[in-house]
Amino acid sequence: MRLFWSFTRQAFHNTAVYRFEFWLQLFSVFFMMYSVFWVWKILYKQSPGAFGVTLEQMVTYGILGMALETIFHPGRGPQTYITEQIRSGSIDTDLTKPLDFHVHMFARNFGETIFRFGTLAMPSLAIGYLFLDFRLPASFTNGVVFTISLFLGFMVLFSLNFLLGMLSVVTLDIRSISWAYNALVRFFAGQMVPLWLFPGFVGTLAAVLPFKSIYFIPLSIYIGKMNGIEAWQGIGFQLIWIAVLLLFGRLAWSKVHTRLVIQGG
Amino acid sequence: MIIANQLTKEFKRLKSKEGFMSGIRNLFNTDYAVKRAVDDISFEIQEGEIVGYIGPNGAGKSTSIKMLTGILVPTSGHLEVNGIVPYKDRKTNAKQIGVVFGQKTQLWWDVPVIESLRLLKDIYKVSDQQYKHNLEMFNDLLELDKFYQTPVRQLSLGQRMRADLAAALLHNPKILFLDEPTIGVDIVAKERLRTFIKEINREQKVTVLLTTHDMGDIEKLCSRMMIIDYGQVIYDGSVEQIRKTNGASRTLVVEFEQELEDFAVPRTELVKSEGRKKWYRFNRLEASPSDLITFIGSRYPIIDLTVEEPEVEQMVRTIYERQGQKVGVV
Repeated sequence: MRLFWSFTRQAFHNTAVYRFEFWLQLFSVFFMMYSVFWVWKILYKQSPGAFGVTLEQMVTYGILGMALETIFHPGRGPQTYITEQIRSGSIDTDLTKPLDFHVHMFARNFGETIFRFGTLAMPSLAIGYLFLDFRLPASFTNGVVFTISLFLGFMVLFSLNFLLGMLSVVTLDIRSISWAYNALVRFFAGQMVPLWLFPGFVGTLAAVLPFKSIYFIPLSIYIGKMNGIEAWQGIGFQLIWIAVLLLFGRLAWSKVHTRLVIQGG
Repeated sequence: MIIANQLTKEFKRLKSKEGFMSGIRNLFNTDYAVKRAVDDISFEIQEGEIVGYIGPNGAGKSTSIKMLTGILVPTSGHLEVNGIVPYKDRKTNAKQIGVVFGQKTQLWWDVPVIESLRLLKDIYKVSDQQYKHNLEMFNDLLELDKFYQTPVRQLSLGQRMRADLAAALLHNPKILFLDEPTIGVDIVAKERLRTFIKEINREQKVTVLLTTHDMGDIEKLCSRMMIIDYGQVIYDGSVEQIRKTNGASRTLVVEFEQELEDFAVPRTELVKSEGRKKWYRFNRLEASPSDLITFIGSRYPIIDLTVEEPEVEQMVRTIYERQGQKVGVV
């Protein structure tokens, strides 16, 4: 636990250096939240009742999705770090630490995420609450289950990103793959558009893929679209995927380690 | 402390494809080139030794260090560091070793040095007391307190290396691996690093294995050196011993009053001729310098002369070249 906290503190020091980038990010989140807010307002005016939830729920969903992108952005995570370390050869220094590599990457990523949650996501949501019709969780229970589900969503994203990072060790370059991957995650996670609006085959596909664990499940729980049994089923879905992905991550790492090529060595 | 037995490492390097969708095409690429970086190396290092591990670029030094630290898994052979097989139990091994890669830093680039040390304290589970004690020692010997509030990217190379050494020793490792610790560092800073390494070795009985291209490091620090080339150990012994076996040769440098045609001097070999200066190499046991000087002086007027002893660097170069001829490369 101390280790996670230590990484959080480190992330603080790191970000303190790039203050301009920090403010720019905060500004762009406000801008995106504002756009989502207006898009749904206009759509609801044109065909009210076509989207399965109330306007307020939908706006809350959209704003939460935008605010959480500050911590869940698919282009930021262990894969970015691993690729960079591989490219510069600095992965050596990570491997001389008495930490399990998987756990190390998790601690690093989690520490950073906690920091970004406190400094970027929370202020964005506060602004959303004050100015843009962002609402509190549907009920106290929904709030608690949402928090659990959000953490599990983070675990799923981490595991997926870690696997992508493992790929970068093998191919030494994941730029073209990352690009497709990021688009895939954004779409199937239901960050902007909730999955119940996806038609036919795409909807079925989105329902079984792990990505919906990242945004769709926690967000639906938050706004009260998923309640009771359904919410716990969502949690169960997340847990199963976490188990599968973590297992794959460990297998990939043990495979990768034996054939690790370090550039510049 | 360290045992390596018939250690071999082969690299299978993907012949990377380039161009459109290269990332995806490389996924299915099976075009490999095999290179044997370390070839059947055996050695043993005792506790408290400082061993210099030298060889030309690409000789296999770094690869060996990476296997000893558990980063790379050997293709074959046996390896033990203080009773632990590094690649099988990397984490336990990591706790008992400290590593500095001169070309890379393990410190966080954007963060003050002290913050990196704090993080390492948590990673290595160093006790508060031990942390405080070590920090005081680093302040004493490395003057760490002069720059530990500075972000790493603003440090000079010498300072960065000092900080990296401190980071590697924070958890009191038994063994220290230094991969080119003085590379690019100025003379004064080099001297400081060497003094510190020596001090740590004497006070805490830390075993040190260091790779370097700087023979000064070897002469100042090491009781023993291992020379490696083409993945094989070609010399293993004390620095004095190499002096003894290769050190009988001397070079007489003579400066004449005017430029002269090259001429032979008995029992010597003319190795270089430049302007009014000529270099004659001879064996100290076969010819005496005074005889040579008399011989030359009786023919041509001499302005200045010196007798040069071979430097370790020269001797090592001779060994490299000899090995190159044996393997038929060079």
